[in-house]
Amino acid sequence: MKSIVMLVAAIALTGSAAFGESQIKVDESLASYQPVEGVSGNLNSIGSDTLNNLMTYWSEEFKKFYPNVNVQIEGKGSSTAPPALIAGLAQLGPMSRKMKASEVDDFERAHGYKPLAVPVAVDALAVFVHKDNPIQGLSLPQVDAIFSKTRRLRAAADIASWGQVGLTGDWTDRPISLYGRNSASGTYGFFKEHALGKGDIKDTVKEQPGSASVVQGITVDRFGIGYSGIGYTTPGVRALPLSKEDGGTFVEANQENAYAGTYPLARFLYVYVNQAPGEGLDPLTKEFLKMVLSKEGQEICIKDGYFPLPAKVVAESLSKIE
Amino acid sequence: MKSWKPGDSFIWLSGGALALALLMVFGLIALVVVNGASFFWPRDVEQFQLNDGRVVLGEITAREKIPQPNASHAPATHRIQIKRGNRDLYGTDFIWLNETDIQNTTAPRNALVIERVEWGNFYGIFQRLEIGGQTVSNDWKFVRARLARARKLTAQIHTVSRKDIGAINRAQERLRRELKRSESAELRADYAALQAQYQEQLATLASLRGQLTDVLVVSAAGHPEVRIPLADVVRMNHPNAMTAWRKCCFYAEKLWEFVSAEPRESNTEGGVFPAIYGTVLLVLLMSLIVTPLGVLAALYLREYARQGPIISAVRIAVNNLAGVPSIVYGVFGVAFFIYLGGGTIDQAFFSDRLPTPTFGTGGLLWASLTLALLTLPVVIVATEEGLAAIPPSTRAGALALGATKFETTWRVVLPAVTPAVLTGLILAMARAAGEVAPLMITGVVKLAPALPLDGVFPYLHLDRKFMHLGFHIYDVGFQSPNVDAARPMVYTTTILLLAVVLAFNLTAISIRARLRKKYSSTHL
Repeated sequence: MKSIVMLVAAIALTGSAAFGESQIKVDESLASYQPVEGVSGNLNSIGSDTLNNLMTYWSEEFKKFYPNVNVQIEGKGSSTAPPALIAGLAQLGPMSRKMKASEVDDFERAHGYKPLAVPVAVDALAVFVHKDNPIQGLSLPQVDAIFSKTRRLRAAADIASWGQVGLTGDWTDRPISLYGRNSASGTYGFFKEHALGKGDIKDTVKEQPGSASVVQGITVDRFGIGYSGIGYTTPGVRALPLSKEDGGTFVEANQENAYAGTYPLARFLYVYVNQAPGEGLDPLTKEFLKMVLSKEGQEICIKDGYFPLPAKVVAESLSKIE
Repeated sequence: MKSWKPGDSFIWLSGGALALALLMVFGLIALVVVNGASFFWPRDVEQFQLNDGRVVLGEITAREKIPQPNASHAPATHRIQIKRGNRDLYGTDFIWLNETDIQNTTAPRNALVIERVEWGNFYGIFQRLEIGGQTVSNDWKFVRARLARARKLTAQIHTVSRKDIGAINRAQERLRRELKRSESAELRADYAALQAQYQEQLATLASLRGQLTDVLVVSAAGHPEVRIPLADVVRMNHPNAMTAWRKCCFYAEKLWEFVSAEPRESNTEGGVFPAIYGTVLLVLLMSLIVTPLGVLAALYLREYARQGPIISAVRIAVNNLAGVPSIVYGVFGVAFFIYLGGGTIDQAFFSDRLPTPTFGTGGLLWASLTLALLTLPVVIVATEEGLAAIPPSTRAGALALGATKFETTWRVVLPAVTPAVLTGLILAMARAAGEVAPLMITGVVKLAPALPLDGVFPYLHLDRKFMHLGFHIYDVGFQSPNVDAARPMVYTTTILLLAVVLAFNLTAISIRARLRKKYSSTHL
């Protein structure tokens, strides 16, 4: 929830711009990246699938500044990042959720200090339905009743057919076909924690190996519903507006609402690094993060369909990097 | 009419089985080729005037029936998927339009498709070219010439920054590590000299970049003036005005780019050269490891070991190894090769780079070792069968002429068994080239533009991670940010992987045929 507070604070700085389908803009106060000399070597990144493409775009951009840096990217799920950072297999650990306390403890046991979490982009975890689905929106308790068998958000009854969320005609008796991510995914973890109140996911959820396959699954399944990062939106699916409570107003998954914290599933995407206090990061990792937090780096968030960071968060992150 | 002979039904059965197998193989290949081969063909760009006044310009990529379960007797309506590009303006590359919403469709001859370095294709109309802020020309021929110039400059920038600055960077990196170990004035001076060279190259780069001031001004629906720096343009065309010959040239150019260029835009555009390179190198390394190992093991099993229950058990175990799921080999590779082997190598030789691992992480060497283990049973079994087929009289003849057991094996048996070894190798290579699961945990990555074999000392970088065609298919198909745009690439990459496997097999088969001819005299 801390992330939401940070986002709300940040909106004061960003002001109220007009946001449309394509008018997402990087904060103008962000500085351009200034390359430094003598940066080369191997940079390994192991972690989130949600951030996989973003990391690839960033490394393409990074190579424009430093053509001899070899960035190698692996993205099989956020849960693969902490072990890789602990074992030193990677310098960058992209994660689509915060590290769990147990993961931080493991890291601290190995290195003697906590890992540094650097927010790199803003995501609105979206609940997708097929493009033909006429539903207006869903409340979080409804989402919980659709995806979870424990219904921690106190929905009255299990929801298994589209009729139960108010659809009529042909849709009434159609069972809801569920798509989700596998449990190594940070998106899975975040969804479970923030949309299902840490409840259990139904056994009927078709767990997909990647975010893009969730979207593809729904594209060909008219009665499908699933979740993944907003960056994976295609015209074949629609991101549903969500409301926090039953009967509340539905909030679109856009930049404005993510910043304001009114969209209930807004989150930061992180890159974790191993920064020893006092020693600072190696130049390669440091420059990569500085590039990500620059104007160029944040424009890439838009290219991949995510939202750039507010300037205040960027400034805070930059101050933490040594 | 002849009556059926008792054996006829079996002939028909076996013939039918063959036909079914061929049908499935060719069906699969046809599916892949039909879907993949048209990807690079320049399609016509159409302009759709919608009833609400909007205008959409783009290529039709799909058409589907709109499901109308409540009005089953109403006439069927369709909708079309349009690739309209301009991701930076509209947010998405694709849009669905209901056919009933379309007022009319035209194919303007001046519709321009620009393939950009970033943000995907642009669809629009050419307005003018500006150089350094001044409108200079509307002449299309001139614009094309300027594009050629810009491409050349970009290539130069690429060379300077990759090769020249790269060499300086690597030297500096080496010096920095040495300085870490021991401080010396000499090293400091070297470092400063490199620094000066670096500044010089930077100036060259800046002057090259300074020459790239051309800006293409184009228009798209709702955006009368879009400015695209010419340096960001890969190629541009008026597809509706292209002749068939020009389209063929375009196709060939795109195809060449696909096999020879590096991927762009998170692997959804550009080429797959690093993946082809990685796959080929991996399979070659794997063959180098597995062949001697497999042949020696088979020789011992068949020529030297005393045949008995123990050897039979070993043989059964080897045969069963072929049935172990490939991911199990992958896990073994991670635990044994990477953590144990790689970790030890790092401690011993690369301790100054720790905690950043050099060999203690997935890489080409570990992946090829894992694949070698995976394919070892195939080679052993094939070699053993070959050994069994060599008549005992051949060996007896050699021994009778006074050759020792080793000389017989080395000079007579081994040459005669090479065709069988190659058969095993063909099977092994085919299996290894298509294997993805064990590679995913032993060193394949989504993006690793640095090739594992290049002109930089020590030339073969066994510690590098690499790209692989099989993994590329998985990545593009299931993890791409732009699934609709990337889907055709899945098929084209599959065709390429099949072509690589085929090339490997044909090479091995031709070698085998030559060897068979050479050693046919040994079979009396």
